[in-house]
Amino acid sequence: MALTIQQIRDDVADVLGEDPADIPDDENLVDYGLDSVRIMTLIERWRRDHGAEVTFADLAEAPGIERWWALLGEPA
Amino acid sequence: MTVRTAERAPATPAAPEPEGLPLTAAQAGMWFAQALDPDSPAQNTAECIEIHGPVDPALFARALRRTADEAEALCVRLVETADGPRQLPLAFGPVPRAVTVAPLAPYAPAVAGTSAPGASDAFLGLPAGASSTRHDGELPFPLRVFDARDEADPDAAARAWMRADLDVPFDLAAGPLFAHALFRVADDRWLWYQRVHHAVMDGYGYSLLARRVAETFTALAAGEDPGPSPFGRLADLVADDAEYRGSDAYEKDRAHWSEAFADRPEAPSPAGRTALPSRTFLRRTAHLAPDATERLRAFATAARATWPDVLIAAQALCTARTTGAGEVVLGLPMMGRMGSVALRIPGMVMNVLPLRLTVGPDATLAELTRQVVLAIRAARRHQRFRYEDIRRDLGLLGEGRALVGPLVNVMPFDYALTFAGARSDAHNLSAGPVDDLTVNVYDRTDGRGLRIDYDGNPALYTEDELATHQGRFLDLLTRIADSDPHTPLAAFPLATAEERERILGEFNDTAVAVPPTTLIGPIESRAARTPGATALVLGEESLTYAELNARANRLARRLAALGVGPGSLAAVAVPRSVDLVVALLAVLKVGGAYLPLDPDYPADRLAYTLDDAAPVCVLTDAATRPALPPTELPVLVLDDPALRAELAEYAATDPGRALTPQHPAYVIYTSGSTGRPKGVVVPHSAIDNRLRWMQAEYRLAPDDRVLQKTPSGFDVSVWEFFWPLRVGATLVLAAPGGHQDPAYLARTIREQRITTAHFVPSMLQVFLTEPAAGAGTSLRRVFCSGEALPRETADQFHRVLPGVPLHNLYGPTEAAVDVTYHACAPGEEGPVPIGRPVWNTRLYILDAARGLCPPGVPGELHLAGAQLATGYLGRPDLTAERFTADPFGAPGELMYATGDLARWRADGSVEYLGRTDHQVKLRGLRIELGEIEAVLSADESVAAACVLVREDTPGDQRLVGYVTPASADAAAEAGTPDPAAALDAAALRDRLAAVLPDYMVPSALVVLDGFPLSANGKLDRGALPAPEIAATEGRAPRDHREETLARLFAEALALPRVGVDDSFFDLGGNSLLAARLVARVRDTLGAKLAIGALFQAPTPAALAERLHRAGDAEQALDVVLPLRVSGGQAPLFVVHPAGGISWCYSGLLAHLGPDQPVYGIQARGLTPATAVEPLPATMDEMAEDYLAHIREVRPHGPYRLLGWSVGGVIAHTVAVRLQDEGEEVELLALLDAYPSDQWRGRAGPKEADALGALLRMAGFEFDASGTLTREQVTRTLRTEGSALASLSDHTLTAVVDIVVNNATLMRRHDHRVFDGDVLFFTATAPRAEDWLTRDAWRPYVTGDLLNRDIDCLHPQMTQPGPIAEVAEAVAAYLGERG
Repeated sequence: MALTIQQIRDDVADVLGEDPADIPDDENLVDYGLDSVRIMTLIERWRRDHGAEVTFADLAEAPGIERWWALLGEPA
Repeated sequence: MTVRTAERAPATPAAPEPEGLPLTAAQAGMWFAQALDPDSPAQNTAECIEIHGPVDPALFARALRRTADEAEALCVRLVETADGPRQLPLAFGPVPRAVTVAPLAPYAPAVAGTSAPGASDAFLGLPAGASSTRHDGELPFPLRVFDARDEADPDAAARAWMRADLDVPFDLAAGPLFAHALFRVADDRWLWYQRVHHAVMDGYGYSLLARRVAETFTALAAGEDPGPSPFGRLADLVADDAEYRGSDAYEKDRAHWSEAFADRPEAPSPAGRTALPSRTFLRRTAHLAPDATERLRAFATAARATWPDVLIAAQALCTARTTGAGEVVLGLPMMGRMGSVALRIPGMVMNVLPLRLTVGPDATLAELTRQVVLAIRAARRHQRFRYEDIRRDLGLLGEGRALVGPLVNVMPFDYALTFAGARSDAHNLSAGPVDDLTVNVYDRTDGRGLRIDYDGNPALYTEDELATHQGRFLDLLTRIADSDPHTPLAAFPLATAEERERILGEFNDTAVAVPPTTLIGPIESRAARTPGATALVLGEESLTYAELNARANRLARRLAALGVGPGSLAAVAVPRSVDLVVALLAVLKVGGAYLPLDPDYPADRLAYTLDDAAPVCVLTDAATRPALPPTELPVLVLDDPALRAELAEYAATDPGRALTPQHPAYVIYTSGSTGRPKGVVVPHSAIDNRLRWMQAEYRLAPDDRVLQKTPSGFDVSVWEFFWPLRVGATLVLAAPGGHQDPAYLARTIREQRITTAHFVPSMLQVFLTEPAAGAGTSLRRVFCSGEALPRETADQFHRVLPGVPLHNLYGPTEAAVDVTYHACAPGEEGPVPIGRPVWNTRLYILDAARGLCPPGVPGELHLAGAQLATGYLGRPDLTAERFTADPFGAPGELMYATGDLARWRADGSVEYLGRTDHQVKLRGLRIELGEIEAVLSADESVAAACVLVREDTPGDQRLVGYVTPASADAAAEAGTPDPAAALDAAALRDRLAAVLPDYMVPSALVVLDGFPLSANGKLDRGALPAPEIAATEGRAPRDHREETLARLFAEALALPRVGVDDSFFDLGGNSLLAARLVARVRDTLGAKLAIGALFQAPTPAALAERLHRAGDAEQALDVVLPLRVSGGQAPLFVVHPAGGISWCYSGLLAHLGPDQPVYGIQARGLTPATAVEPLPATMDEMAEDYLAHIREVRPHGPYRLLGWSVGGVIAHTVAVRLQDEGEEVELLALLDAYPSDQWRGRAGPKEADALGALLRMAGFEFDASGTLTREQVTRTLRTEGSALASLSDHTLTAVVDIVVNNATLMRRHDHRVFDGDVLFFTATAPRAEDWLTRDAWRPYVTGDLLNRDIDCLHPQMTQPGPIAEVAEAVAAYLGERG
């Protein structure tokens, strides 16, 4: 069960403590408070719930919802 | 989409350029930090990974070697080039196929290329003597492998080795900048240790390296290929950094930080001070319990944050509570790689950002956590801007001020690595330099909970202090984890439960049962028991207890007739006299409370007090009466014969009274912040408790004699008056005014055999300097109170009055004189504590949220218990404000907020730290600055006022008032364009003196056009000017050192001139320039100096002072002037020219090289200390004297001598005498010096010529046509900033005499022959004395006259250009000979 963009958006908003509607898909998440601990939390969650295998550097390199969707959303 | 890296073109696959790469800003920061102290190991970072399984060391070596090859940023060395520091690639030799595992031996640093005694001490891949097998330019790979299994405790032995290795600094320019070691600590357990210089690696970089090594090792072990390098290129990192620094984002970030910190906030530190970074750090490791860790995570989720956010909030709370600050600035180390190429580059990228947080007493945990989340988010948007650059932009660098307090370094990187299937644990050993306090937090998911390391700078923390801070933080974290997020911060005091118990139960264990008596009752009992004993002495006069009691009783009956009784007041305005004591007793005897009035106070203030207190009557004497304001109250003039006659009619027996211990005993007025003094009402129970405690503690006996010298308006007088009378001792009154006369006091103590006396510390200080003070051998105890007792004063007391106990007491008027006490023991060190609580008294030191401050933490001192005053007379509002419910006492009990800052010591005594508010104590007197400000502001000419205590000269505290004129129109009305002139400060001061007591009138009033404001619009008290405007024209250098330093400062800053009091950093100095300057100072003056010294002593004068203190106690005018004492070569002795001073030779230092010590030889008599009478009569006599001094520095040859002008003639004479004594002279250098023959018969110099010589010595040309005066000379010297300008009159006179004498001696001298060559320097510019020729030396020199022409005039020989040429030639000559 691959991740949907909505799921990514919801999870990101959750770790940032924000409303999903307030996080644009194409903005740099660092400006919204994304940090390494939050990335680790997401990696852990997506590995557990969705079997997504992604490294810290993969996510940290392109911190944006659309970019992550491109990485995670499609089956490898 | 704004994600940066996505758009970037792929990295260019180019090898590093041959000349290497520049450093990134992050690297440069670390490079500079190392340059500050090149031998420091502080920039070492290290980690140890414990592998639980078998390891093939050869395979591991290959994995390390391979990973190193992939990590370009690691394999560099850092060299300083003309373009700044650059990083050059390093190549390593191969690791061998088979690795010998040597037994672990005591630590010895590996030295590349040397044949170490065993393989264990050499790097792997470089067996002993194998250096020839290396390829050119290749270094041995820095890995050592040990077997520690034979050690008793293999882990401990390995750790000890690692600690020793951590103390070894890297050589940045040589490299390598990393080192590995592998230890076998059990059959199937290994420790992999790596140490890397922080300039090339950060914490995240470590995680990349470790992961890759694990991957590679695992692949190699399985016989597989580890695959291509996962790492990015160093060149990309450098390019990325350069791009950022040229970008708009950089400017935006810069603006952000400059604005956010424009007011340059204090960064409170738990240490309460700052220090230079140390070379090492202290570390204490602890774990937050696993269940607490889990609850902390749950708390974070509930607060919609992450656990690091909560942890940072907790640290902010902890720091705020520890420092008493409402705002803290934490340092937040940032990985700095988000969205960057650096994510895949192991290197140095991390940054530290300041996190400014407000910790308000009313906020909740959730609010503070939210504040942290938002602050970090804001910081993150500007995270690439360097910490070092923020400090620079804010100008903190020059002041050595910190930008941040504690660092909170959270490292969440996943370290669950496996090495060929073997699991591992990572342990950080050093996370880099620790400026103050760094809290390193690791989430290593090993089931032990969060690991929380406290790293402290040992210059700021002891092991115990660090442990205490850490313990409180963990305790606080645990309490937070157990709390609801909406709990107010006030619910989290810093003190742990154990500390709370110690404070309340142990430190405040003071309960003692006392009978319900009054102040007066025990005095009447005593009078009945010992009627014939002497109660009172004043000069020749003395009264027995019976006599005193009878007089007081008669007056008491008169007072009762006026209506004085329990609960009412009687004012007493009587100077120190028998009548004063009688009056006080009389008021008390009828149950009244006395109100002392100081007749020296301005009439307005006395009138206010009488009006406010509304006493029943006023008691005074004939002399004082006229000073009192008009009043409708009954006034009793005690020495009025009519009254005396009347009193004789009254009964002499004790009067009856319906007095309870709760009735007031006295009311004393103190300064009030609103501009009105306030009356403190002290009940009998309070002062009775105080006196009962005092008697129990100090045991006054009937043969004791207590000196009464404190004015009755100050509450110390209360015990002076009444304590002796309660116990049958004698009260000895000092004469009015006598309390300010140390000689009188010393005499009185001796003559009256005083046993007990009190001093305010500043008066004690004055008293102890009185020669007769030591004669006070009758003293049995001396009390101090009223202001902080300096340790020096206590020490001096013990020296002057050995064996006399000294007691330091503390207490406000609001708590019956004193509430704490401390016996000062000789030999104690540090601040004198105010001590422990007296009977039935509790002390609380509370933070802003009224939580208990644990020992060591400053807070406001609160008092509770038996001695509290009833309150302020007629001021229920003010009383309710200062006397509040005691949260730790029984219901209904109150506590008083003293406004004093204090802290507990671990032993349960208290240290006084100052005031929390606007109140000050000046020479023992309590002053509300607000009261003075209110009076100033009420003046018609004044718009606004501010008063503060300044200490512009250490030890000299002065009250200074600042005012702005009432209106700009005032200036126009006064017909002056200068608004300040519209306000007559002197007249204003007179008006102040009419309403305020003398001690509250500022010693200086400064009129300003407007007040300096800080960025947030508050009055910036720090920016108020000192009352006397300091001379704007820089002072002249005091000696050659200041002069040289001023020159080097100017050179480093590329400025034409730098004043001796100008700060290096104010003039644009930065770290880089500082490093260069310090190097130049080191080479020029031969003084050992770390860059840190420049931060602490940023002016030439301060630095000279520092060097002076560091080095020998050198006198700039002594016969021997050590210009540079360090260096391995034979010292060079440089002999003074005509004026006798050798400072002119300091220009030699820089060009002779740091290994050449240089000593100046100077004439006798420049200071009185070296004066001889008469001056030397012959050149030989002078040479003999100098030779003795030279031999003291260097007993035997070879000798090196140099002299300019007359100094050359003297040097030649000394050289000849040395050869007479069989010594070798390897250098005789003559600077434009000509033998006696050439001068004989020519006119000697006059005073004007002598002054001219002085100017020449300082390196100036002058117009010789006019006649020089001494004033002209000093003026010239001063204008040109010469050190000679500060010569005293004595020295100037001496110089003139020396010049004249030298000229005479030289003309009379007969030269003998020097055996050897002479190095000669000719000043070739045309001169008047065209007859001078160096060939005149030929008869007096056996060897060659090796001449070198210098294109200058004779007087210019020691100016910078010519002296540099001379120095180079001398160095070259010596170099050839050597």
